[in-house]
Amino acid sequence: MTDEQHAREYGQHLVEEVLKGKMTRRQLLVRASVFGLSATVIGNLLAACGSSGGGTASTPSASASAPAVVTGGSLKAVIPPPLKTLDPVTIYDQGGIVLVYQICEYLIDLSNTNALIPKLALSWAPNQKGDVWTFKLRPGVKFNNGQPFEAADVVATMDILSNPKSGSGAAAALAGILSPGDTVAVDPTTVQFNLAKPFADFPYLVCSASYNTAMLPRNYSGNFLKNPVGTGPWTIKSYTVNQGCTLAKNPTYWGKDAQGRQLPYLDSVVYSFVTDASAANLQLQAHTVDVQVQTIFQGGQSVLNDPNLKVDVYPSTGIRELAMNTTKAPWTDARVRQAVAYCLDRVAINKALYGGRSNLGYDSLWEPTVFPGWPAPAPRAQDYNKAKSLLSAAGHPSGLDVTLTVANYLENPAYAQLIQAQCKPAGINVKINEISYNAYYAGTQTGGASGYGNTPWLNASMDITEWGSRPTPGQYAQAMLLPTSAWNSSNWKNQQFTSLFQQYESTADMATRTNLATQLSTLMQNETPVVIAFYISQLRSQWKNVWNVQGPGSFYFNVSQAYLTK
Amino acid sequence: MARFIGRRLLLMVPTLILVSILVFVLSEVLPGDLGRFILGPYAAESSVVQLDHKLGFDKPIYERYVQWAGHFVTGHWGTSYQFTTESVFSIVIHALGNSLLLAGFALILIVPTSIFVGVYAGLRRDSARDRAITISSLSMTVIPEFVSGVILIVIFAVVLNWLPASGIPPQGSPFIDRFYYLILPAIPLMLLELGYIARMARVGTVQVLEQPYIRTATLKGLPKRRIVFSHVLRNALVPTVTVIGSQVGWLIGGLVVIETLFTYPGIGYYMVNAALNHDQPLLEACVLVIALIYMFSNLIADVVVALLNPRIRKAG
Repeated sequence: MTDEQHAREYGQHLVEEVLKGKMTRRQLLVRASVFGLSATVIGNLLAACGSSGGGTASTPSASASAPAVVTGGSLKAVIPPPLKTLDPVTIYDQGGIVLVYQICEYLIDLSNTNALIPKLALSWAPNQKGDVWTFKLRPGVKFNNGQPFEAADVVATMDILSNPKSGSGAAAALAGILSPGDTVAVDPTTVQFNLAKPFADFPYLVCSASYNTAMLPRNYSGNFLKNPVGTGPWTIKSYTVNQGCTLAKNPTYWGKDAQGRQLPYLDSVVYSFVTDASAANLQLQAHTVDVQVQTIFQGGQSVLNDPNLKVDVYPSTGIRELAMNTTKAPWTDARVRQAVAYCLDRVAINKALYGGRSNLGYDSLWEPTVFPGWPAPAPRAQDYNKAKSLLSAAGHPSGLDVTLTVANYLENPAYAQLIQAQCKPAGINVKINEISYNAYYAGTQTGGASGYGNTPWLNASMDITEWGSRPTPGQYAQAMLLPTSAWNSSNWKNQQFTSLFQQYESTADMATRTNLATQLSTLMQNETPVVIAFYISQLRSQWKNVWNVQGPGSFYFNVSQAYLTK
Repeated sequence: MARFIGRRLLLMVPTLILVSILVFVLSEVLPGDLGRFILGPYAAESSVVQLDHKLGFDKPIYERYVQWAGHFVTGHWGTSYQFTTESVFSIVIHALGNSLLLAGFALILIVPTSIFVGVYAGLRRDSARDRAITISSLSMTVIPEFVSGVILIVIFAVVLNWLPASGIPPQGSPFIDRFYYLILPAIPLMLLELGYIARMARVGTVQVLEQPYIRTATLKGLPKRRIVFSHVLRNALVPTVTVIGSQVGWLIGGLVVIETLFTYPGIGYYMVNAALNHDQPLLEACVLVIALIYMFSNLIADVVVALLNPRIRKAG
């Protein structure tokens, strides 16, 4: 079967799933985009499905009733300060990622609902086996220094990122999948990725969710701030460390809107770097800034209730992982881990931490409310009888004492307190060990008796770790649940899960993947190495004269089509 | 006087050496690894080890201190570990300039106001006005600046929209705009310092008013204005000047809360960030500069006191 026939058959399969009611149109959109089907094809598939619903983000700033576009002007935004020198290869913090996203672009971008959309790549498709992906690049794109963007730039960028010596977080994500030399320029607008193994979700590894994979010029040698070259809509006009940054529009940007108007609409965006969330809230309410890239729910009630402001809500796949170290008592017994899961009132936790805005999780990564297209795991409600019976069966009829290590960061301490309170009635006495953020991630991550070094977050008996959004369940599982995972806080090494996951990652056949996902999900719930009680929705607040701010979540702040009205 | 100043200047050297050693040692016990911080929690362990080696973080502490100190005293302050394209010197100078501007603006508001209020209260000792001034100034002193700062922002920036919530204007604004943006950050400082300095001025005034020479001046028939300005102030302000001198160092280097609340890039703000992020070169430079400021401001205060009081001047 040729690749074209394969794509056609896959598309037909998706339509059938929608018509049978097993998939929504939104889920079709996501699965089709992963497969690299073109926008035209996807449009035809959606038309073939007829009308049906699908969940979307709530984005008042991008609503259909927005006023006519006004070009010009300067938008003022507030973000946390970049923690270190701006470098797309090694960024990992919110401030740095937001800024790089303005200047550089990715092969693939993410929509407000985490679907893949073409950016520097117009299309992508795997071979039959799924271990060679061919990307067609957008022609006529230039870097802001006039240099044309071509396949050779993709090759150079991916060779840097896949090299462990680069220090990039992308290297860990690409490990075992893509190595230096595996990316090949077929012609100036065609790139081929020769993977070490079949990997169905490969497009997600080069989309904006993999924030280090911003496309850089082939002669990039570091020192990005001195020479901030990118294909994006903005260029750096001025930058002051720990203070702020002004971006001016890139006059040679390739992007145009649906009416053919040159993007971006705005002349400039001024970013204020503000460390303290309360100070940022006050600046927004005082209209010192127009938009807050991320509004933290805790402490943000005055912003969320301010009648002058509107709030965009993006469903995100960010989580707070409650990991139980499966190599340390009492967590060696799955029944004890499950008992903790049944102690939690997830609805109450969601209400307390996020005002009920987040999506509930049930300890499985294959959660269809945030990862459309996957079968829903069995819900888990608070059930103290079940928790006690599990504890009793595991040899703890009188309960037990445990220690929960948590970093003093964001809402993590509040979550720890809720866990402590909700576990108590079952006889699980949780002692909270709250330490600083730096202390939580300090130390080594490899070697030692555990194989995970001595850092608290990978070695504590029980801990809470915050994870930024990942676009697929597979990326999470790869990072946290395999014996080879670098960030396996639960130290879980389950051969059955590993074997199933390897099959899942290597097949592109949807029916097979769905079946495997169901098995993986069930296994996660049965074993409960981690508790995932919710998937956090991201909030973005702005003044009512700000329109069309795009980009899901806390990192992907797309203002190329944003504008200000009077 | 020259001997006095010379002695004080010489004492600064061992003090600064001791401070630099203390900061270096204390920053070693802070949790976290520099290479891990720079590359983030998701970078490979091998990359972290490589970076630590490149930055010399795997060398013994005394070796690193000696290397750093040698570079520092010869003017090579190095680059920031966090912001590798920025020299420590340029960051510190930029931050210090901001801090001096805020401190200077705050002092312009604080000093004349406090002295006027304190002397006024002292001249009307035990009156209703004196009690009102004492109670209200004491009350303002105990309100932490992060509380008064937030209240001021809510009232003047959010509700009334009279003043900006940030302490720094947008980049490219004319320099004069900076004073408009400094009004709100300076007010909590004024509230905090007013009570303390005014009380010192009041106490000094009351003590001087009880002196026999003031009674003599009054009985001689000198106008009250002349008694106050020629005899009372000169002697009453000695302790006040000392207190102001001791506060200058804090106003320049200790305003971390105000700088964070108003997003003001002063030296205190940079120092705390450097401490949290293991940026040792920047941390050391900030601490030493602040220590120098404290020492110089106290020295200047002592010199002014000596100029005001000939007995202290002659005692050397």
